[in-house]
Amino acid sequence: MKTGNQDSSAVKAPDAARAAGTDYERIFHPRRVAVAGVSPGGGVGFGTRYLTSLQAIGFEGEILPVNPKGGEIAGLSIFKNVEDIPGELDLIVIAVAAEAVLPILEAGRKKGAAGAVIITSGFRELGTSEGIGREDEVRRIAASGIRVIGPNCFGIYCPKSGLTFFPNPDLSRESGPVAFLSQSGGLASDFMMTGMWMGLRFSKVVSFGNGADLREAELLRYLADDPETGVIAMYVEGVRDGSEFLDALKAAAAKKPVVILKGGLSSAGGRAVVSHTASLGGSRVIWESVLRQAGAVQVRDLQEMAQACLAFSLLPERVYRGLSFTGGGGALGIAACDAAETFGLEVPPLGTDARGRVEALLPKSGASGVNPVDVANPYAPPALLEKIFRAVAGDSRIDLQILIVLTHHFKGLAQDQGKTIEEVFPYRELADRMKAVAVETDKPVVFVLPNAKRGFPDMDVVEIHAKVREAFLERGLPVFDEIGDAMRAIGHVNRCYGKGETS
Amino acid sequence: MNRESAEKIIEGALGEGRKVLSEYESKRVLEAYGIPVTREVLVCEEKDVPRAAAEIGYPLVMKGCSAEIAHKTEKGLIRVDVRTSAEALAAFREIKHGLAGHKGGVLIQEMVRGRRELVMGLTRDGQFGPCVMFGLGGIFTEILKDIAFRRAPLSGDDAMAMMREIRAHAILDAVRGMEAADRDRLADMLISLGQIGMDIASVLEIDLNPVILSGKDPIVVDALIVLSR
Repeated sequence: MKTGNQDSSAVKAPDAARAAGTDYERIFHPRRVAVAGVSPGGGVGFGTRYLTSLQAIGFEGEILPVNPKGGEIAGLSIFKNVEDIPGELDLIVIAVAAEAVLPILEAGRKKGAAGAVIITSGFRELGTSEGIGREDEVRRIAASGIRVIGPNCFGIYCPKSGLTFFPNPDLSRESGPVAFLSQSGGLASDFMMTGMWMGLRFSKVVSFGNGADLREAELLRYLADDPETGVIAMYVEGVRDGSEFLDALKAAAAKKPVVILKGGLSSAGGRAVVSHTASLGGSRVIWESVLRQAGAVQVRDLQEMAQACLAFSLLPERVYRGLSFTGGGGALGIAACDAAETFGLEVPPLGTDARGRVEALLPKSGASGVNPVDVANPYAPPALLEKIFRAVAGDSRIDLQILIVLTHHFKGLAQDQGKTIEEVFPYRELADRMKAVAVETDKPVVFVLPNAKRGFPDMDVVEIHAKVREAFLERGLPVFDEIGDAMRAIGHVNRCYGKGETS
Repeated sequence: MNRESAEKIIEGALGEGRKVLSEYESKRVLEAYGIPVTREVLVCEEKDVPRAAAEIGYPLVMKGCSAEIAHKTEKGLIRVDVRTSAEALAAFREIKHGLAGHKGGVLIQEMVRGRRELVMGLTRDGQFGPCVMFGLGGIFTEILKDIAFRRAPLSGDDAMAMMREIRAHAILDAVRGMEAADRDRLADMLISLGQIGMDIASVLEIDLNPVILSGKDPIVVDALIVLSR
């Protein structure tokens, strides 16, 4: 209740000093990683699965397994004690039973590890005095010279160094601009998987579990200055210190987009209140307000978060007010205009010059060159679409172009011709041509790929849909499933980069 | 700004074991922070009514003023558009009777004319500390909940953003023959409210409702300050 009077800089000082001394380089890009808690008998315990995940993803550094019984695992000999490992460690991953964690953490610190990832649960989250006491001890050891991620977490994913999440052996080694922070490891894992197929590539993902030591505010500050990270996404349930978090958030959001999903938003305020102001200021309203005040992009679910991150990843940093839509059906264009308006976007009619050039390319009947541009043909050849897009890009009111591709229509065409969908749909050519248009006109091209055929009889459409998506994404062209998704994501980009504008 | 005089009023109330300031006391705290409030005189004796009324000038608003009664309208303790000395005396007696022995007096106050009513406030969030509210005032506050919050301290940009954020933000523009509101003045008021929250830890909640736009000028017409010990 008295937070308002505190001098927040006084509260932050110790953390800031520790952060300055934190060797994040050795935590995120370690060369020597000890894994404590492997099972020599070929079991499937957490430690073993973590180790095999590290090997599967192709971690190039040294992996040093630890188990008091010794022996061998996956071609590596097991050290009986952390102390037996020769030389210095960069990182120690701890997956032993809760009661064995503390001495191993201390041993890791003595071995010079910059960080420890404690996967083990059985700490503060138990709510018991034993669990809380154990976590206090973790914090005490951390304060004496090792930074701790966890306990009760899934760890760090860093494709550049080959550090992977527990238990995700199949994550990509391709780096990208998206960083993700989450207390929940399961949710982080889900977000990575959703993000991967939607086209996201990550710089660093951290699940910090109970957050006994390193957590939201410090990690935000680190990622804000991390040159490998272009956009920060974050799932937040609660924070340790509201002021410290908002200060870190504000500083980060001033440097790069920060997309936040707040979990556990309830409208109840908690205490009994007298004034109308207090009764209106429940936790949901206050959270949303302070996040907005700090300049964060707020989303409602993981899908929206991934879509926003995709737009921030692939669209150049500017505001996109005027959009053009091109597709093979009139009603889709109307739906597009409605969705655009909802997110503060405009679909201006083309000027006479651009319109004339577009209409000269279209069939005489059924088509429209106004914007939305209706080509009246779901199979319009890529060369024609390229000409149309170049003509539309000539209109100064258009900042970004959207192509709606109805993949499912190609199934009928393929059947009529006795061919596969792949044979009748030149999507790689389309992707190449659109990439050229986007680069040469400096106006991004965004694809919307709705699929009306996702049932079992249409697995061929589902497959081609995935291939088309990949072909576009490989060329750095954003893809969304639905028009509304694309509009919402572009709306986020505009609000973020257009800060200070009245809109 | 006069932080000490505000603290003195609050310490006095806390010293009496109270958790609420009367409207009169609340407005003195606001005044100390440069927030514009109605001109008013607190009267306890009937004999003082005519002089106070003449000083403020007719037409008047008269209100029962007691820290023991938070929501006056529901208790029938407000008279508006009081036009003569006789009406003022009658109103004084009725309100005194309505106070039913609660400690307090009758507030004789200027009647602010204006069709646009706003609300401002302060609440103290367990996680984020003092947060300032702005929104549509009067009876619409609770019906439409068209409000915006910002954590204190507020920057000028924060205050301006709050005004843009409410759905009914056009009410601050020049509409239906009314002048555009003085947004700079409104922003100063919001920043000052946040400052009260930053300065005085025992201020738990504040309601300013309504804040009426008299032409372009905002004036706090009713105020409530809730304290914590």
